[in-house]
Amino acid sequence: MKALAAPAPRQLLAASLLLCALLLLPAARHGLEASMWRHMLLQFPLWLLAGALSGAALPAASRQRLARYNAHGISGLLLASLVLALLMVPRVLDLALYRADVEAAKFIALYAAGAALYLSWSLAGRIVQAFFLGNLLPMMVVVGQLYIDSPLRLCNAYLLDDQERLGQWLIALAALLALCWLARVLWQLVQREQAAEKSAEKQPQTLAASVLTAIKAE
Amino acid sequence: MWRTALLSALLLLGGWASARWLTLDFQAWTDEDARRLAVALHPVPVPAVTLQNTQQRSQSLPALLAENDAITIVDFFYSRCESICLSLGSSMQQLQTALQTQPNPGVRLLSISFDGAYDAPAQLQAYARQLGADPQLWQFARLPDPAEQAALLHRLGVVVIPNGRGDYEHNAALLLLDAQGRLLRIFDLAEQQLALDYARHLASQTQPATTVARQP
Repeated sequence: MKALAAPAPRQLLAASLLLCALLLLPAARHGLEASMWRHMLLQFPLWLLAGALSGAALPAASRQRLARYNAHGISGLLLASLVLALLMVPRVLDLALYRADVEAAKFIALYAAGAALYLSWSLAGRIVQAFFLGNLLPMMVVVGQLYIDSPLRLCNAYLLDDQERLGQWLIALAALLALCWLARVLWQLVQREQAAEKSAEKQPQTLAASVLTAIKAE
Repeated sequence: MWRTALLSALLLLGGWASARWLTLDFQAWTDEDARRLAVALHPVPVPAVTLQNTQQRSQSLPALLAENDAITIVDFFYSRCESICLSLGSSMQQLQTALQTQPNPGVRLLSISFDGAYDAPAQLQAYARQLGADPQLWQFARLPDPAEQAALLHRLGVVVIPNGRGDYEHNAALLLLDAQGRLLRIFDLAEQQLALDYARHLASQTQPATTVARQP
């Protein structure tokens, strides 16, 4: 997350807007929405990414002002949870194909959720993060299993084998996200321990050094 | 902290309202459910499209329904299909058997092809014979005009998509249409008994009225 903050805000905003423009191109829209798995597992994350880039482009002052409404990242992660939960209702996928207002709402919601996720993740401690993932990931697994098990097509516009594939990938993605988060937490714990050990080693050194200088002074 | 609590409460409210709108009061999770619910609440008038039957006779759909003077159970098919259409065929076959053992002049069956370019009357005839259709009970038709076919499918909410292997997938169902040319209800293929019972119930409601009307 911190590595992302390195480019200038203006560049990040430009990247975000460019990604939005690309995603709004009719060719990109139709291409991504032609199959169910691309719709949910490519188009959704790309809009989240565009939103996250705009969140990263936000100046520190506005970020602090926003943070007052977002203690521990709770509001932001709640927004993201609600958006992602709503967008997993199969009816949305069908509606977005033939209703422009639903399509627009979907894009805006995903963009906002992406920005909210970026701005809230670092504010949220591990407990809030775990709560968020503990809601989102099991939901992805349940929906994925539903898509795999359903003998009927849940979306009129998509094929049955497409739906099955989406289900399998949703479960795989949930597992992958869980592993990534756990690995990150473990990594942070290990780092913290190492830092603690180093400072523990340092202390005797500084003591010895001060003794040395004291002796020299005498 | 109170700001966060307030904003979170508003977000929850917004999420709940959106979910309510999206699922039609938590009743429909798929678009197909929503379509069936909408039809049940507000019957859909069928467009005046021209059908052609196995005898090459052309007639508008509302005229055919009026001539049947019955509740017509409609399904959509294409004769080249070998997957779900077989179960669709057998659903209709079982409905025909039920109507043969317990005759009811107020209920008819109609299969409409959504592959009108291929399913010429001769094809329809062969397909009907293969399924053992009784022409008195079960009619077959196609729409010779592709634009009219698209219009009918759109109006009735039938979505047909090619699966890339030369076949089609569609939201196969049993549609109940009345003599006034309205789509009243949509049932799952598996709910054929329910569809038949409902059709019989509707027929028993409308039949006395028409006989009274005819008497003078």
